[in-house]
Amino acid sequence: MTDTRVTTTSAEDAATSAGTRQPASALTVDRLSVRFLLGRKGKAGVVHAATDVSLRLRRGRVLALVGESGCGKSVLTSALLGLLPANAQTRGRALLHGPGDDLDLCTAPERSMSRQVRGRRIGLVPQSAASHLTPVRTARAQLAETVRQLRGTTLRGTTLRGAASRGDVDGLAERAGLSPAALDAYPHELSGGMAQRVGFALALAGEPDVLLADEPTTGLDRVLVDHVTDGLAAAAAEGTAVLLITHDLAAARRVADDAAVMYAGRIVEAGPAGEVFADPWHPYTRGLLGALPDGGFEPIPGHPPELTDVPGGCAFCARVPDPPGPPCNGDPEPVAVGGRLIAGHVPC
Amino acid sequence: MLSATDLVVGYRRGRPVLDGVDIELHPGATVGLAGPSGCGKSTLAAVLALLLEPWSGSVTLDGRPVRRFRHRVSAAERTSIGVVFQQPRLAVDPRWTLDAVVRAPLVASKRRDDGIVAELTEAVGLTRELLGRRPHEVSDGQLQRACLARALVLRPRYLICDEMTSMVDASTTALLVHLVRSVAAAGTGVLAVSHDDALLDAWADDVVRWR
Amino acid sequence: MAEREIVAGAIGQWRQAARTRAGTPRGGAGGRARLRLGVGAGLLGVLVLAAIVVPWLWPASEQLFDYTQVRLPPSGEHVFGTDQAGRDLFVRTLAGLRVSLLVAAICAVGAITLGTAVGAVAGFLGGWPDRVLMRLLDTVNAVPHLLLGIVIVALYRGSLTAVIVSIVVTHWTTVARIVRAEVLSLRRRPFVDAAISGGATRGHILRRHILPAVAGQAALSAVLVLPHAVWHETALSFLGLGLPPHLASIGNILSDARSELLLGGWWNVAFPSVLLVLTTLATAGIAATLRDRLVPRRRSELAL
Repeated sequence: MTDTRVTTTSAEDAATSAGTRQPASALTVDRLSVRFLLGRKGKAGVVHAATDVSLRLRRGRVLALVGESGCGKSVLTSALLGLLPANAQTRGRALLHGPGDDLDLCTAPERSMSRQVRGRRIGLVPQSAASHLTPVRTARAQLAETVRQLRGTTLRGTTLRGAASRGDVDGLAERAGLSPAALDAYPHELSGGMAQRVGFALALAGEPDVLLADEPTTGLDRVLVDHVTDGLAAAAAEGTAVLLITHDLAAARRVADDAAVMYAGRIVEAGPAGEVFADPWHPYTRGLLGALPDGGFEPIPGHPPELTDVPGGCAFCARVPDPPGPPCNGDPEPVAVGGRLIAGHVPC
Repeated sequence: MLSATDLVVGYRRGRPVLDGVDIELHPGATVGLAGPSGCGKSTLAAVLALLLEPWSGSVTLDGRPVRRFRHRVSAAERTSIGVVFQQPRLAVDPRWTLDAVVRAPLVASKRRDDGIVAELTEAVGLTRELLGRRPHEVSDGQLQRACLARALVLRPRYLICDEMTSMVDASTTALLVHLVRSVAAAGTGVLAVSHDDALLDAWADDVVRWR
Repeated sequence: MAEREIVAGAIGQWRQAARTRAGTPRGGAGGRARLRLGVGAGLLGVLVLAAIVVPWLWPASEQLFDYTQVRLPPSGEHVFGTDQAGRDLFVRTLAGLRVSLLVAAICAVGAITLGTAVGAVAGFLGGWPDRVLMRLLDTVNAVPHLLLGIVIVALYRGSLTAVIVSIVVTHWTTVARIVRAEVLSLRRRPFVDAAISGGATRGHILRRHILPAVAGQAALSAVLVLPHAVWHETALSFLGLGLPPHLASIGNILSDARSELLLGGWWNVAFPSVLLVLTTLATAGIAATLRDRLVPRRRSELAL
């Protein structure tokens, strides 16, 4: 235990202590760990999907969580939506800040997750939205149904369904960057980009405070990626807190206000996006940026570790021993340095 | 040279996806093909891989016209063109280990392994342990590495990369592209289809941009 | 992978995922499926064992006419009672079950071999071979199965081969349909394109990619065909068209028992019927569990 370590380790905390004015938090993830027990009672192994992850989502800002595929970043969406499978165990808290009190998403009963949280307070923009649409109904029918469900009120267990006017649905489509005419198409008639925008409109239907976008750009071409990321930025501009989970650094660079880099289930570096991407401290962040075509185009050697078998200490140094830059102190816990968070490789 | 002239291809009658397209792949050169989704890039890739029969137009492989497609083309001709598909998960038999996936073309064409498997799996960074796994036990990136090794295992004279990197992360992209560039330098003609302009600028010798 | 699939966008899928979270499909149903498989396999094992061992221990009693012992109700000496010719029904019923099961098993193997072959060829080749084979299949299906069976058997009275052929001919169509549908979806997959590009012939693709993928479905339909075949054979024999009368089979025994029922000999009908039903239930239980297992599972994908 060093003195520099703080309990709620998030970049913004450090920034607050530096005296910057910060908008209100919408969601605070506090040392959240997720484990999957394989086999009976974990005898076949334990997946360390996320370890001591701390993040803060603020209204009006986009936080990009980046990392290679299989680093555990997608499990966060499941955890925050209470959709982890039965063999998962969580530790830590994920507080959804409401007007009244805070709701811990890790312990909230299924009833309140389904009636108050999913779709209503947290919207999800899924990966490959086309597979999330029913093939037998038009996009408009599905969007209208979602609006009716989400805007209805619950009274003594009975849901009074709200009305969804044509204008409401068209408005949602326009906010998601989709022309209302396209809504009358069936999912198979939509291109990947259009389906993704329908998915985005579905996520906006419940007017959520928090948007989770889980790899929303995979398989889309650059123009469509820009459309999707611009949509997220527009949602943030309206006051929504956005978490963009992606392995596409170009997309992250385009819209993120804050950035967090995840490796082997842990946050290894976090801070204001501009600073992190312009001057990465952690060798893993440098490696990711260096692998981009315009960043040097050099692959990171080796493979990320299996999450069933994460090395202790600095997991990245186990993959690439003695990376260039400041020496590693072997501590996997991020510490706050000058408004940013960095694990192991603290700059001198 | 692998070339196509005046191609007309489509899936539904009366609605061609490609209409009057010409392309040439020369040994040792990499042609990049960029364009938005749905513009027919993958269709052209399938025709050049001899997997899709065009409605009209001609395909020529090393000076000889190709008249038949898919399994009707001779094995020698179709194995001279390697293909890497966009979605690695759909492009491998889910029952096979990665090792079996990489070796499949050798087995199918009854050729001996002269050390090429070990050479390629090392180049794509697949360890012995990873090679023993089945597709659902590895990530998309690791699977695509196996798919590239499979495409190269018969030492094809041409390589078609159809959106090879769109499902994988930046680091794996860099590794795969570096390997493809090294086989191109050794004399293979490459068609690199992608929607990522920045990637193609760094990868291809010249880039064709559609629409 | 898996976690991403669980996180579904539309509300309906959320509900489904919430059920997953509650743990029913994974924990509860898994246990129930195991129990069902255990009970089914155990029951079938006991029945098959009894059908083999009992007639082997008392080989004579099955056909032994003992006119001092006719029409005896169940007792310590004859646990299933005796029939109008004084034959011990316990031994005779189990001998009948053995014959019925053997015939059914041969028929199931025959039906899945024929069905898989036709389905795989039709699905994989497509075009006119597919159309011809499917019209043939429709033609067979258009005739009521029992009627077709009766016609075939009536042409070759009392022959075991005729019974087997009649069951195979009427049961391969289901297998063929299932296999064809599976092959149709498989042959358009990119991994088939990859194999073609790697120089594989169509036969190679069929053997190495397509058939292994449909083997599970085919094995499942074999288990599903088994109880059907037992019933079909029973029905034919009951009508006097099946196996030769001297061969004890469940159908022959029930056919003889008809007249006894009017004389109050309930045991003649009851025990063979109960064994028939138990056999059916046991195979159905196994089939249901196997079908659940064939649903693609995501267990190990979590390890990503």
